Amino acid sequence: MKKVRVGAGSSGWPDFKDGALDVAQNGDIDYISFDHLAELTMAILQNQYAKDQTRGYIPEVIPLMKSLLPIWKEKDKHFKMCSNGGGANPPECANQVLKLAQDLNLGGIKIGVITGDTIPLSRLDDLRKQGWNFINADTGVDDLEKVRDRLLAAYVYTGADEIIDAYSQGADLVIGGRLSDNSLYIGNFMYPLGWQFTDEYWDRIGAGVCVGHLLECSSWSAGTCSNLWEEIDYPKGNPGFPIAEMYENGDCIVSKTETSGGAIRVQTLKEHLVYEVHDPENYIMPDGICDLTQIKLEQIDKDAVKVTKFADKSRGKPRPENLKLCLAYNDGFISEEITIVCGPKVFKQAEKAHEFVLRRLDHLGLKPREMLWSIIGWDSLCGPTVGAPPPDYDPPEIGIRVAFKCDTKEEARACRTECGHLCWGSLGVGAGFTNPPAIRPVFALYPTLIPREAVPLKLEIKEVK
Amino acid sequence: MAKKKVKLMDICYYRSGDKGNISNIGLMARSDKVYEIIKKEVTPERIKAHFKDWVKGDVIIYPMDNLQSLEIMMYQALGGGATKTLRIDQTGKAMGNGLSKMEIEVDEDVLTTVT
Repeated sequence: MKKVRVGAGSSGWPDFKDGALDVAQNGDIDYISFDHLAELTMAILQNQYAKDQTRGYIPEVIPLMKSLLPIWKEKDKHFKMCSNGGGANPPECANQVLKLAQDLNLGGIKIGVITGDTIPLSRLDDLRKQGWNFINADTGVDDLEKVRDRLLAAYVYTGADEIIDAYSQGADLVIGGRLSDNSLYIGNFMYPLGWQFTDEYWDRIGAGVCVGHLLECSSWSAGTCSNLWEEIDYPKGNPGFPIAEMYENGDCIVSKTETSGGAIRVQTLKEHLVYEVHDPENYIMPDGICDLTQIKLEQIDKDAVKVTKFADKSRGKPRPENLKLCLAYNDGFISEEITIVCGPKVFKQAEKAHEFVLRRLDHLGLKPREMLWSIIGWDSLCGPTVGAPPPDYDPPEIGIRVAFKCDTKEEARACRTECGHLCWGSLGVGAGFTNPPAIRPVFALYPTLIPREAVPLKLEIKEVK
Repeated sequence: MAKKKVKLMDICYYRSGDKGNISNIGLMARSDKVYEIIKKEVTPERIKAHFKDWVKGDVIIYPMDNLQSLEIMMYQALGGGATKTLRIDQTGKAMGNGLSKMEIEVDEDVLTTVT
């Protein structure tokens, strides 16, 4: 049966660079994909691009390609690569990679550049005039009016169509902007296996969406951040990245190289299949909808798991008519401060400091929009689920963390410095200070949908001379 | 059969993440018997009560028989979402750990089924 080997190359920014190099060198792969973008990254990159048109892409792409292209060159089987590291400026990212390729004498290498995922804000207004409602997925209503004048950026999570086009036009490397994490992989399955966006293939595309999900977070399927952490080892300090051997019928074997650490087990894949999927019967991606309740996992070897059908039902449904659109807008500033409290009576000291800070805010007339007080060493991660510390519990030290959200940077700074930092004044002897992180602007997200046809994407093929 | 109080962390695995202000927890049963128990015992009402004011919206639970897991969605649960929240854990990676502290009552022999 026809098959293709696809490796994971990156799941964010930053990720283990050696993971990608190991997959490329030792994974016997046909394709490798790189996701570099978190939910917010595009807003930051668009901001950079607005100020300087030579920026706005993920800088990490360049050193990564510098290490990868020589491996690509020496392999008899030239694997293909797909990346969303172009961010808000795929053409410039591609130009820089072209220069690298020229320096390495890689004449003939072709780069597909995909643009058009960034939506001009004026087009949003046009679409609204035409009657389109931008329903906020978080709140269920179209309240765009409230944030319209604070909008910074709008970007669409795009699908695999142009990736497939790029491959069919001979591209060795595809660089795009907000290509959805999942589509970076779907293109690698669909093109070589000949799958189409038609009824005959939704089951297989559904399976591909599932396997794309397993790959898109790289080492997360191979034992990092795992419940099995105590028994998973990294003898050389290099986590493994998953590799999918996808068959024509949508069945797949996920494995990893022997040269890497980590593990591929039913459990390591299972914990990723339940990660961030929401309604598992309708895991919606731009290229198809996967029914994750129809997936079966089976260990077939050490570090090899077969991913097949659970029952005789389709693993996929037709792709959605609309694409996910993220709108980023300004929403004030966050400041924070951590103070380490030295015992004895750490919790009592912290309580006193809390009261002191509240009184000081009041005394100075500061009114943060929100404030969060938490105790590192007790409730800073799990909040109210931990309850109050038992009366006889007095660890040697704890951290006090206080964070403020204010409308202006000045007020955020005042809250932090005058109250957060100076809270040591109410503590006993021996409080430890830390260097607070920079005050950060809040880029809030407004997740919504946009009709597929309102997002014209463009593909350009560039070739190294 | 004698009853025993256990924490979910004794009988389940978990992993959690985010989408906007929605927290999502995958709760994986560590045996067939545990899966039957968590399907009944881990309810939206109990989850909301457990997280108190950290989960302000609805809780929806989807069973996944194929993976013996529950997919738990908690709305308005991340203090505004990754970019807006004041929490250290901006993407809710520890919300699963928070849930794992929930106590339920089970038949004493259930623990022996856990692998």
